[in-house]
Amino acid sequence: MGNGKINKLSDGINESLFEFAEFDDEEAQRAGYSNYSYWRSTWQVFIKNRIAFLLLILMVALLIFTMIQPYLPNQKIPTKIYLDAKTNMQLRNHRPDAEFWFGTNSIGQDLWARIWSGTRTSLFIGIAVGLWEAIVGIMIGALWGYVRALDRPITEVYNVMDNIPVTIILVLLTYIMRPSLSTMIFAMCITGWLGMARFVRNLIVIIRDREYNLASKCLGTPTGRIISKNLLPYLVSVIMLRMALAIPAAIGYEVFLTYIGLGLPVSIPSLGNLINEGRALMMVQSLRYQLIFPAIVLSIITISFYMMGNVFADAADPRNHV
Amino acid sequence: MLKYSLKRLAQSLVTLFIIITVVFLLMRLMPEEGYFGQAYEKLDEAQREAILTGMGLRDPMHIQLKNFYKSLLVGDLGKSIIYRPKVPIAEILKTKIPYSLYFGLTAVVISLIAGISLGIIMARSKSQIWDKLGTGYIVFINAVPAAVYYLFLQLYVTDIFKLPILFKPDNTASWILPAISMSLGSTAAYAMWMRRYMVDELNKDYVKLARAKGLRNKTIMVKHIFRNAFVPMAQYLPSTLLYTISGSIYIESLYSIPGMGGLLVDVIQRQDNTVVQALVLIYSSIGIIGLFLGDVLMAMFDPRINLQKKGGAR
Amino acid sequence: MKRVLALMLALLMALTGCTGGKQPTAAEVEAPQEYRTVYSGEITTINYLVTASTNEFALAASFVDTLIDYDRYGVAQPCLATEWKVSDDGLIWTLKLREGVKWVTHEGKEYAELVAQDFVDAMKYILDSKNESQTANIAYSVIKNAEKFYDAEITDFEQVGIKAKDKYTLEYTLEKPTPYFLSMLTYVCFFPVNGKFLSETGDKFGTDNTTILYNGAYIMEAFEPQTRRALVANETYWDKENIYIKKINQTYNKEATTLAPELLLRGEIDYADIPSSVIDEWMKDATKKEMVRPNRTGFYTYFYCLNFDPKFAKEFEPDNWKIVVNNLNFRKSLFHALDRKAAMLTAEPYDPEKRILNTITPKNFVDLDGIDYTQLGKLANFTNTDSFNSKLALEFKEKALAELKGKAKFPVKVLMPYNTGGTDWANRAQVIEQQLENLLGADYVDLIIDPKPPTGFLKEVRRAGNYAFLECNWGPDYADPETYTDPFTPDNNYNWPHLAEGYKEANGKNTYENMVDAAKAEVLDIGKRLTLFADAEAYFIDQAFVIPYAAGGGGYSASRLNPFESPYSPFGVSSERYKGQKIMEKPMNSEQFTKGLANWEKERADALKAAK
Repeated sequence: MGNGKINKLSDGINESLFEFAEFDDEEAQRAGYSNYSYWRSTWQVFIKNRIAFLLLILMVALLIFTMIQPYLPNQKIPTKIYLDAKTNMQLRNHRPDAEFWFGTNSIGQDLWARIWSGTRTSLFIGIAVGLWEAIVGIMIGALWGYVRALDRPITEVYNVMDNIPVTIILVLLTYIMRPSLSTMIFAMCITGWLGMARFVRNLIVIIRDREYNLASKCLGTPTGRIISKNLLPYLVSVIMLRMALAIPAAIGYEVFLTYIGLGLPVSIPSLGNLINEGRALMMVQSLRYQLIFPAIVLSIITISFYMMGNVFADAADPRNHV
Repeated sequence: MLKYSLKRLAQSLVTLFIIITVVFLLMRLMPEEGYFGQAYEKLDEAQREAILTGMGLRDPMHIQLKNFYKSLLVGDLGKSIIYRPKVPIAEILKTKIPYSLYFGLTAVVISLIAGISLGIIMARSKSQIWDKLGTGYIVFINAVPAAVYYLFLQLYVTDIFKLPILFKPDNTASWILPAISMSLGSTAAYAMWMRRYMVDELNKDYVKLARAKGLRNKTIMVKHIFRNAFVPMAQYLPSTLLYTISGSIYIESLYSIPGMGGLLVDVIQRQDNTVVQALVLIYSSIGIIGLFLGDVLMAMFDPRINLQKKGGAR
Repeated sequence: MKRVLALMLALLMALTGCTGGKQPTAAEVEAPQEYRTVYSGEITTINYLVTASTNEFALAASFVDTLIDYDRYGVAQPCLATEWKVSDDGLIWTLKLREGVKWVTHEGKEYAELVAQDFVDAMKYILDSKNESQTANIAYSVIKNAEKFYDAEITDFEQVGIKAKDKYTLEYTLEKPTPYFLSMLTYVCFFPVNGKFLSETGDKFGTDNTTILYNGAYIMEAFEPQTRRALVANETYWDKENIYIKKINQTYNKEATTLAPELLLRGEIDYADIPSSVIDEWMKDATKKEMVRPNRTGFYTYFYCLNFDPKFAKEFEPDNWKIVVNNLNFRKSLFHALDRKAAMLTAEPYDPEKRILNTITPKNFVDLDGIDYTQLGKLANFTNTDSFNSKLALEFKEKALAELKGKAKFPVKVLMPYNTGGTDWANRAQVIEQQLENLLGADYVDLIIDPKPPTGFLKEVRRAGNYAFLECNWGPDYADPETYTDPFTPDNNYNWPHLAEGYKEANGKNTYENMVDAAKAEVLDIGKRLTLFADAEAYFIDQAFVIPYAAGGGGYSASRLNPFESPYSPFGVSSERYKGQKIMEKPMNSEQFTKGLANWEKERADALKAAK
């Protein structure tokens, strides 16, 4: 506005002060400008955490490796039974060596190939359940939080479903529908959305009446913009966390169902049934590798997903952005 | 206070009623073989119908439901059909609950003590070695399926400490490992919760004020923060205690403890419909009752709770 | 809240108190002649009049004696009946009961004397369809008018062919002459029960150890389901001189199969099955090797069925399968291509040959004057040659291809379901799939393995005809080769061989059925009967309706019992008894077993000859 130093008040008063200022769009933008970008900040906070960054690399590498493993050279077929060249009989319980990196199982199948094939199965279950959880959970949660008329009925449904232990629902459903890959995914999906829906609903209830949102509304910001700029960043962190946690949880449930005899058949390798097969041999020192290898791979996968989820949730929380 | 409790009680009873009815109706979808035992194959269609009618399963649904509630009110859960033919279900449960209760409660005690201590230690040494170790433990327990680490504990710990692999009622050394294993999961949960709460609370104004008044760190911790932290925990305590009777499927089968843990799986696999129904009912009711007690307890302990308005999800 | 805290404190104190003293292990205070085992399958009932499952009537065999029993060579011996005779027309059997045998309660208190009426009361209970006895069909298959009474066509029990002539005389009247009736008397449906006790306990009969009466070698002192069972020798038992093991302790363990070998090594139990997954380790270890021995094979027979009435889903082409399965050369190509040794490695990695069967009827089941049934007539050819022959298999493949050209689609989809309940079966399915496809070529057969859950497996797969090629098994119901033809009769539901095309004879029945009927009709000349059955079985195998595979049992165990001391019988409950058995210092090893087996076989041949 006023340029130059005003020595005397009366000196400074002149005509120019009473002229209309030209509207300068560029100037106006600069005043309200900050180079804050949600995703960039998230990323910056994220990579600052060295462990998290390492885990991210590990996880991406793991995912890629799991996907491309069958196409790499020198890989074996997970269900093929290898024969002993001398006896022409199955190469049973062959100890790990250069040819069979993780050894073979009791009918001569390559454990290395089976573990990665099992990882694919288990990850597939986890991702399918995680996606379903996200989509259905967010939708129901949003309706629950936003539409006041639906609050009561959904709350009642939630209370009923939440009070029957998840394991009971899982076992009952898998049992009634007969064990298979699709049954397993279906059973996990039936209860999976509960937690997500509740989180989303609570967040929406808390956030929608916050002062800054009211202020935005008063300023005439369109609802779409409020949702994407004010609500979503808060939700993203929670959604990411729950999605990432859904994968270890699904693997855990898969192990559980296999343990109680409702898992996938051994001809479809999965982490659950590999561990279960190994369990039968755990008392035999020399065959323990058949339990230990799948257990280690499973632990690496679940831990990295779990940690990734938590670290990313922290990073995605706008309150942690400086 | 009383008015609130009564209102909550009425609310819980309604939910309980809905759950029991839903479960009862769901159970009608169970395969009908489950009402016959091994004789199913040998009977023809007419005989099967006669037996089902005799059991009242061909009555209209509302009559079935009424009869079911009638016997439920006098505490009659019915008789097992396949698991132990003709033995009352209550009798089966009577022999199993004490084991689950013992291990469950011991595990709760261990995990409360260990979890809260760990949480406090971690909060006080934020970002130092103890905090990192504790976080590592929490991450591991939460991420890795219990079946996996239980297995390795059983395998190696029994070996190192020369403990018996299996549970034996008359050998007390065999009671230790199952109880400890069972507490690992909730220890992590308590520790995580405690740590987060303490860290949040340490930055609050009343703590700063207390510190400004010159109170010692320890006094602040115990008198102010810990007591505040314990209140929300109280809400979940009744459910936690009640759920111990359901036992742990893994622990009980790994160590061969004759508790409730494997019972549900057993009867589902053997298609014993009446026992499945009884168990599902018990487990779902536990949740509701626990929640009700928790809310009442919470209302008693925490004056901040607003007794006039209550709603929404928990 | 205070109470909860107090409770917790008390519990905590109890726990810390517990960790203090360590008690001596069971091995240190072990009493002599006590037999300890672990088990994973809990019994559901002790009601021996109802159950048909082996682990349940195995226990009942120790509690209640039967009319006759078998000794360690399989020769029939007097038991509750001291003598018996059969009328000339083979229809009326009269048995004289042992006097002074007592029923006692679980506390060992005398309840009543065993009388002939007890057998009648038991039969009346079994034949009452309301009681849902699973062994009723075996009883009413022989006893006169029993089936009519079961089906409520007659209501007067007096007309059923069982009578108590006086206190100690029992008489059975049969539907038709049954040469093997005596062997049936050791099965649960011919057990006695005290009628008064039965009506007093009513519905509760056999639900636990207090609700049955005992007249056998042992009394069940404690029964805590999913915890333990304790048996003690019955002091009032009529033959207690031959009971050496005074106590039997069975401890429940869900993981018994996995843990038993380890527990045996630690001296906590006296018997452990050594599963196939562990056997390598034991055989390589010098000390463990001394403790492990093979088991005798049993009398269950396993065979691969080719389904003549395919009813599986369209995607697996049941019509195409129906065309090829009716072609003899196709069946024979499968018959000779199946490498049963490779399949057996999944169950029996050491010495797989010992369980492999070339016939449906196992060896040592029945004999004709010392010649084993499997060596009679044309059956001997099959018994003595291995069906696996890759050259023959490929020859038959070429013939089948030529004959079926244009009629059937190749590769033939072969639906092979398996039960996911056990790892062995799943492994075997994968082995067979690859073995057959490798040998016959994937352009000839395409095996599709189909995992099915254990619940309702037979109902959904075998009985529903929902398979093309399936591993099936069958156990004998009585000591006669006829029992092994039962699965293949038109009213059974194994593989419906009567629907096979090209075998119809003048009377509208298939050749095989007529051969079996002829053998069944021969009830007086036992020699001729056995040879007729042997020829029928040979024909059945020659036409490749099924592929014989293996005998049950087998495997390895570490046990402080001597297997050659135990009562021996292919059918009934005798072999489940502990009579005459002693606990040895240490388990038998494989060499001792092989030597013992040879010895036993020689002695048995002599005993059988002497019994004639």
